[in-house]
Order: sequence, then structure tokens, then C-alpha cells
Amino acid sequence: MTPEHDIFDRRLLVARRNRAADGAADHDFLLTRVADDLMERLGAIKRRFPVALNLGAQHGVLGRRVRQLPGVEFVIDMEPAPRLLAQCEGPRVQADEEALPFADRSLDLVVSGLALHLVNDLPGTLLQVRRALKPDGLLLAAMLGGTTLHELRTALLAAEEELEGGASPRVAPFADVRDLGALLQRAGFALPVADAETVTVTYAHPLALMRELRAMGATNVLRQRRKAPLRRATLARALQVYAERFGRAGSRIPATFEIITLTAWAPHESQQKPLQPGTAKTRLADALGTREQPAGERARPGGSRS
Amino acid sequence: MADTPAQAEPSRRADPRVLEMLVCPLTKTALIYDEARQELISRAARLAYPIRDGIPVMLPEEARALDDDELRHLGKK
Repeated sequence: MTPEHDIFDRRLLVARRNRAADGAADHDFLLTRVADDLMERLGAIKRRFPVALNLGAQHGVLGRRVRQLPGVEFVIDMEPAPRLLAQCEGPRVQADEEALPFADRSLDLVVSGLALHLVNDLPGTLLQVRRALKPDGLLLAAMLGGTTLHELRTALLAAEEELEGGASPRVAPFADVRDLGALLQRAGFALPVADAETVTVTYAHPLALMRELRAMGATNVLRQRRKAPLRRATLARALQVYAERFGRAGSRIPATFEIITLTAWAPHESQQKPLQPGTAKTRLADALGTREQPAGERARPGGSRS
Repeated sequence: MADTPAQAEPSRRADPRVLEMLVCPLTKTALIYDEARQELISRAARLAYPIRDGIPVMLPEEARALDDDELRHLGKK
């Protein structure tokens, strides 16, 4: 364990979430949206998931929905912030997403809403999830991705650079959807899919966005963050840049949230797999309606080389 | 017919189905349930994880470190 290499200060995250816990239900529009989407996806899968885990449960929005599903018998909400966990219903465990306390092959389903983008070791967490799943168990997780809050990031960077001659990280780096499929595969998942959706929320003013982020317990928890508060002048300039570069005619400002959904299965022999090389029953050339070039013979190059 | 005496409030007791699934988050090894102390003991990590209000707290920083005496005592159980 080398916390000094961590990107996120998880203790600070838990403290922020606890502080915001009382108002969590008033600022959960994004989590509610994500939970509804995950439920739709689950509803389309004709399978029973007797034992389910809600990873990074926050105040239980997703867990409550999953508990309603016909094929689900038992849902455990797991969350590190105790004051959020207290708002969950049903069985709960207080634990960190980075150190799962579940036995190998104990779960049929792991769902997660807006938690995985804040773990320091995503490959490690995914590996632990895969091991805790039974064969043919499902991971269905939504996390924030790459372009999330890019307007705010740009505005803060520009203002800091302009007025303080340097920038500090203020908006978390988010994973790119293109990397996540490979990450799932490396963690030993079968049939991994990562898809992205962009949600644009508009606010009357950039300050309203910042207030909402605070109320969500979603303010900066980067370990490399500048500890001093943002200077007044820098903040003012950032708000100005935000409105100038991204403001719309109607004078409201947009904020982008990219939601990446991961779907992946713990391997099982019943799943479709690529065939072994050499076991094809049809010749590729036939399928393509072309003539096969004997091996070792080069296709005639189109152009001449000197 | 006498009523069954009420035990601890159901919500205050850890769900046995959850306890059965739990392992030490650090070592992934089995845990010993100490019902009297309401602790889950990881021999491998030398830690006792507390159960508070029926909620297992599986965080190493919240766990109690076990000394040699306690570990030896566990061996006799």
C-alpha cells in the first residue's frame, strides 16, 4: 500500500461524502438517471441473479431498484461512507471498493453506480470483482468518463494559468471508454463491452454547478490538489472563461457528464468463444468469394518499388 | 402459546447470509465470527473487524490489531 502514489485521497472522499450525506437525496439526479438506465439493461437480460452486490452504494438509489427485480433474491449495499450507508435499506457492509471483503465465487451480480471512476487502482478493483463473481456472473457498472466536466476543467486551467502563471489539477482525470474494454479483458472478464453516453446538464451560472458538485460530495479529492483554496480573482476569471467559451445564447451554461457503462461476465464454458485457429469449417476465400493465394507467395504489389 | 422472546432488534443484528460471504479484504482469507464481541477476526491479517449496529465494517483502518496472546487463544477455540 503506497498511498503517496494514489491519485485520489479516498479518506477525504469519504469525509466529503459523509458531510454531504444529509442532502444526498436532493442532489442525486445523475445517480438516479444512471440507476434507471442500468435497470433497463438488467431487465433485458433474461436470467436470474439470486445474490447481488451494489458496489459503492452511496445512499442506496441503485440497490433499492435492484431489490425490485424478479430474479434477484438478496442485495447487499456496500459503501465506505457510513452516513450514506445508513440511508440504505436491507443488508449492508461498510467497505472500500478497492479492498472487497467478498469470498471468491460468492456473487451472481455486481452493479455499481458512479463509484468506479474514483478508485485509485481500477484494474485491481475489477480483478477483485471478477473473482468474487460466480462463473457466468455479471458486472454492470456505470462510471464517469473522459469528457466529464471538460468545460470546468478548461475554465479553471485557463484562469489559473493566466493569473497565477501555472495550473494545478482541479478536475479529476477520467478513464477513456476505449481503454476500459481492454481493462476488463485484462481482469479476466469475458464478453466485455464499454459504451459511452454524454449527458449535458445546464445551469443558470457556473457557480450553481460548483455548488451542486459540493452538495454531491463531488469536489476535488485529488491527492495532488493545491491545498490552498481557489483565489477569489482566479475563481472570478474561471467563471468568466466558462461563460464566454461555453455559454449559450439563452445564457445558461452547459456541463458535460460522460457516463461509461461496463458490461462484463465472469467466464463460463457456456459462453460464446472464438474458435481455435485451424478449426474453421468454411474457407475464408469462399466466404469472401475470392481466390486463395497459396501461402508463401506474395500478392502482386500494386505499385513498383525501387 | 408463549410468545418467542424478542431477541436483539432484527435490524441491529448482522445478516447471517452476509457474514457467510465475507472474507478479510486484505488477505481474502476466512474470518472467525466472535458473536460476543461482535467482531470478525482475520487470523492472517491479525485484525478484528468490528460489527456496528449489525453492519460489518470491513475497513482495515477501523479494525483492532490482535496481539500474540489473542491469536494463541483463538487457536485453542
